Amino acid sequence: MEAFREKFKEEANELISDLEQLVLQLEGNKTDQSIVEQVFRVMHSLKGGSAMFGFTLIDQFTHLLENIYDKIRAGELQVTEDILDITLNAVDHLRRLIEETDANFAELAAANKKFIVRIEQVLNQNSPKIENVRLILDDEDVIRKTKTYFISFDPSPDFFQDGSNPLFLLDDLCQLGEAVVVPKYSRIPKLNDIDPTECYMGWNVILTTAEGINAIMDVFIFTNNRSKIEVQKLSDINLLADKSYRKILAETLANKESIVIEALHSLTQDLEKIHSENETLIQRKSSASGHGRDQTISSIRVSSEKLDDLINWVSELVTIQAQLSLFAQQNHDAELTPISEEIEKITRRLRDDVFSIRLIPAANMVTRFQRLIRELSQNLGKDVLFETKGTETELDKNIIEMLVDPVMHIIRNSMDHGIEDTIDERVANGKPATGKILFNAYYSGTNVYIQITDDGKGIDLAKIRRKAIEKGIISPEVELSRKETLDLLFLPGFTTAQSITNLSGRGVGMDVVKRKISDLRGQVEIETELGKGSTVTIKLPLTLSIIDGLLVRIDDTHMVIPLNSVYKVYEYQHEKLEHAINNLILADDERVPAINLRKHFNFETPPPAIERVVTMEYNDHYIGLTIDEIVGEYQAVLKPLGTMFKGQDFFSGATILGDGSVALVLDPNKLVEQFAKNEIKIGG
Amino acid sequence: MGKKILIVDDSESIREVVSFTLENAGHEVSKAFDGVDALTYLDGKKYDLIITDLHMPNLNGIELIRKIRVIEEYKFIPILFLTTESQTAKKMEAKDAGATGWIVKPFVPEKLLEAINKVAR
Amino acid sequence: MKAKDQKEAENLVKDIQTYLSFRLGEETFATDVQKVLNILELKPITKVPHAPEFMRGVINLRGNVLPVIDMRVKFGMGKIETSVDTCIIVLNVAINGEEVMLGILVDAVSEVLEIDENLIEPSPSIGTRYKAEFLKGMWRNGEDSFIMLLNIDLIFSTDEVIMLQTKTEEAGEIVD
Repeated sequence: MEAFREKFKEEANELISDLEQLVLQLEGNKTDQSIVEQVFRVMHSLKGGSAMFGFTLIDQFTHLLENIYDKIRAGELQVTEDILDITLNAVDHLRRLIEETDANFAELAAANKKFIVRIEQVLNQNSPKIENVRLILDDEDVIRKTKTYFISFDPSPDFFQDGSNPLFLLDDLCQLGEAVVVPKYSRIPKLNDIDPTECYMGWNVILTTAEGINAIMDVFIFTNNRSKIEVQKLSDINLLADKSYRKILAETLANKESIVIEALHSLTQDLEKIHSENETLIQRKSSASGHGRDQTISSIRVSSEKLDDLINWVSELVTIQAQLSLFAQQNHDAELTPISEEIEKITRRLRDDVFSIRLIPAANMVTRFQRLIRELSQNLGKDVLFETKGTETELDKNIIEMLVDPVMHIIRNSMDHGIEDTIDERVANGKPATGKILFNAYYSGTNVYIQITDDGKGIDLAKIRRKAIEKGIISPEVELSRKETLDLLFLPGFTTAQSITNLSGRGVGMDVVKRKISDLRGQVEIETELGKGSTVTIKLPLTLSIIDGLLVRIDDTHMVIPLNSVYKVYEYQHEKLEHAINNLILADDERVPAINLRKHFNFETPPPAIERVVTMEYNDHYIGLTIDEIVGEYQAVLKPLGTMFKGQDFFSGATILGDGSVALVLDPNKLVEQFAKNEIKIGG
Repeated sequence: MGKKILIVDDSESIREVVSFTLENAGHEVSKAFDGVDALTYLDGKKYDLIITDLHMPNLNGIELIRKIRVIEEYKFIPILFLTTESQTAKKMEAKDAGATGWIVKPFVPEKLLEAINKVAR
Repeated sequence: MKAKDQKEAENLVKDIQTYLSFRLGEETFATDVQKVLNILELKPITKVPHAPEFMRGVINLRGNVLPVIDMRVKFGMGKIETSVDTCIIVLNVAINGEEVMLGILVDAVSEVLEIDENLIEPSPSIGTRYKAEFLKGMWRNGEDSFIMLLNIDLIFSTDEVIMLQTKTEEAGEIVD
């Protein structure tokens, strides 16, 4: 859908430009009906598409604007300077509206409202007859009350012949609201007289709907004129809402097939009377509760603060639930244990559901990249095609928000330094003239991956190396692996561009990208092939606030290691670790460097005789963390450590354990990075 | 099972989203960008169903239907309107011109398919 | 007459501030009671590795993580040896304009005092181990005992934390 939405946006921009043109033409020929007709058509297309692709504001806006031109077309309004002014302003306004996103919706909606008021003024000045335009301004008015209707439907005997099926029409009716459908059999002849091609059935329907009588009539609009259709409003209230009325109505209809509408009306009046008595009773009981909006709403807009609140409460609940589970475990109460287990189950469900509310598809940010690429291809004179894959992949809204900037930067880099400067250069290398940038999002394990791939020049590793030596970052005799060389790109102030351009050479560098990604507890990696192109891969956790972790203990301190980092756990005699050369331990026949957290964190108590090493993957290498003991898996609700612990960023936060004590949540990437800087060369 | 369906709409994105929906449901889809274009498709090809917009340049939906209904093999082919227009008067006009049904934009893919299944047999 | 009394009473109220006093070693300090949210009994504190020494660690305060500061270390008096009287005072302080909740670990909470602002004496610039800006002043409590009134917001100002932090880090390296 997102792709179509994008397509429509392009189309809409063209339509808006068309509209602009047409209005300017109209200025010269104010009475030219053919131009008015075209204006009308353009707006109609805008309206149709925007409604289809979820641009609600444009939909609303053009609907009203269309009213003006509808009147002009019908000769009820004259084209005036005023109207042309408004339309031209509307063109600018539409250009803003087409950029509608969740983020700017409120702002645009407000601007929209203001503009609509202006249009209304013009409409009212010129023609006081239009009174229903206010309808779309206020949702209150649009939501109509659910009323009850009676429909008698007797298809003509030849109903089937033109391919119609009465059951489909009944289906359509039922979709308008709630319905009681009672068949009428009286026209069915004796078995011998039945002609299977003829329709003998009829139906009485009691329908409650908020759609209005026209919607009901519309169902039958394409029905042949020989069929008998009768629609009557029975009541202004929803009679079917009450089960007992429903029963009475259904029975009445079943018993009296050819019921006279008057009889139904008197029955209805009785029911209404009972209803209003009940109503007053209810109102007395709870005068505060608002009048229920009967219309069903399939989705609602909720402010993200409310969502954040909800998530906070669920996090609290997860914490308390852990406390309860621990208590139940310790007390072996036959009644408490199943309750606690049930609560644990429900909490988990609730947690997942609530967190999924905040997940939004990656498609939400792709629009901005698309625009960036379009803009840059114009500025740089490079022809680039932007492709997306996996835009339905869902990420935490907060992650998406924080991800946009770094990804924009990566794309800028690809556009600027990746894609070749000239088409000739591409063609000479056997590539299509049009460059390509691919945005790809996918899940793997408990992580989300975002990849930006370009089919450009690729990165020259020798050049990176030269530059690093030039800058004194490495000495000429140091040998670096391919990966280590590429990692140099993430060092502050390192850029391979020959000249600083105003696009990507200035301001933020890849070091900032890396920092921002690592603030999200993510990792970023570059892969490249000279002459073929580069890929930047960002690995991110699924959510920011709850971590599935491994709870471990060192001395009396509990720590949580995120499970998505953990590879394997090994057990060692303390002496063995103590005597390990260069801190390298043997794990599954492989030498793995291990960080002794007990030592690293300056715990002074003597270590236990047997220690555990948790291995994890870090930049294609394994690295171990030595700890005292594994406690178990733990769902950690991440709490910030606060500004007082700014220097301790190798902890992404803390979490409250079931017994109420606090465990620290490790950020393994930062820990290893910090450690690597000081102590060992990873994978050396 | 799949039907041959002609979509007529001047908006590319609408054409795309409709054809995407229909093709996913296993139908074979042709796309025309206005009434005149649509008529060129009818030559020598038999469609099971035609879905058209109402307001289009050159030849609008109602004029298109009138032209289609004179073609002998298209006398009884279901023709659906897919439009934002929902005025009853327009619908009556469409019915008189020979339309089989009316789908209001914006549509939900399932509803579109449902509507198609009802008319195309 | 009555109105005048009332007015005088009001004036009086304006000058009286309520303070919570607590003990660190042999000395008594006090903080404006408005900053105090809660007084907790000592509970297990989770140490945060590599944090400055005065940062004793974190505790769980109603589901939130609360940093706890050892006030004796902060004032250069040597780490608090816990006893039954050891308490955590939960404060709401403004650090560079930002409201931060934190706990301070003290040897004992003494009493709530009503102090007439007019009787607060300026802290002597020489003779105290404490930086003058940390102190709002001194208040004579009885014959020869003084209570030091703390300027609690300034004590935790970010600059100060960073300063001490770098010091301890350097110290750590020397020990290594």
